[in-house]
Amino acid sequence: MALLYLVLGVIFGLILSRSGAADYNYIQAMFLFTNFQLYGIIGTAVAITAPGIWLIKRYGRTVFGRAIKIELKPQHRGNIAGGVLFGIGWSICGMCPGPIFVNVGEGKVYAIAALAGALAGAGLFGAIYTRIQTTFRLPRLVVGTGDG
Amino acid sequence: MPLILHHLPPIHWFVAGAGIALITLALLFIANRRLGISTGLEDVCSYVLPVPYFTRDAVVSARQWRLPFIAGLVIGGFVSAVLGGGWAPTWDLGIFDQVIGYGPAGKVAWMFVGGLFIGFGTRLAGGCTSGHGIFGMSNFELPSVISTISFMASGILTTQLLYRVIFHLGS
Repeated sequence: MALLYLVLGVIFGLILSRSGAADYNYIQAMFLFTNFQLYGIIGTAVAITAPGIWLIKRYGRTVFGRAIKIELKPQHRGNIAGGVLFGIGWSICGMCPGPIFVNVGEGKVYAIAALAGALAGAGLFGAIYTRIQTTFRLPRLVVGTGDG
Repeated sequence: MPLILHHLPPIHWFVAGAGIALITLALLFIANRRLGISTGLEDVCSYVLPVPYFTRDAVVSARQWRLPFIAGLVIGGFVSAVLGGGWAPTWDLGIFDQVIGYGPAGKVAWMFVGGLFIGFGTRLAGGCTSGHGIFGMSNFELPSVISTISFMASGILTTQLLYRVIFHLGS
């Protein structure tokens, strides 16, 4: 299965690389309202994914017959606060997380700094999680061995 | 507008959007996985930071699929560069070079700071453009709609501030 994920990742990376989604100019043009490309991409992706998810959920099983169970993301104050912080970072770097990896692969040297920053930021969040948990009403952590 | 990468013309937005949708649906239909990339940052952290947040079930159990997927993203970018005119390290940053104009050291600092916001923000929000913006929105999840509106609004505000107020972009 790891090979399948790798292949899907490669195709996803190629699309992000060649569509403008991993391009600094296109991200700024989206936020400046001077170019439609990224709105078209995200809009199309959602317009096709939404009925697709509905159909898959209705079918209820994967191709291999396993039950479809979508883990839902929790709602809390962090959705807004984190979203605002992430938006600032997306604008500064001109990359969201997927494109950071794609840009590293393309050979854009500065993307390595963005990746280092993103890992440090995620690490910091994990390290102070229990201290900001009440402020943002974040969910309790379930620690132990998962079933995969 | 050409891409920064070898000044290539971009593929049509519909093709890109449809391709992203197919990948998202393939992950769900084949392996019961919800698309999400920023959680992959946690997977990497979980190898070096033994705090409860990174050792929780949801992180450890998903490493086996998210890490190969992320490796694929890097390879995809590499292949794209090779096929598009050759792979070579570059510092090109498009309008940043024309308007803000910092050199390599400035870019590294700029990107690291932006990265901190991305890493901390996506974890606090519980997702990024893929997990909230594409999967969550497509599944009509309220937290995802709230997060997506938040990061789009703040991205617009930051770029407008950077390029129309602080540094002046010629029209």
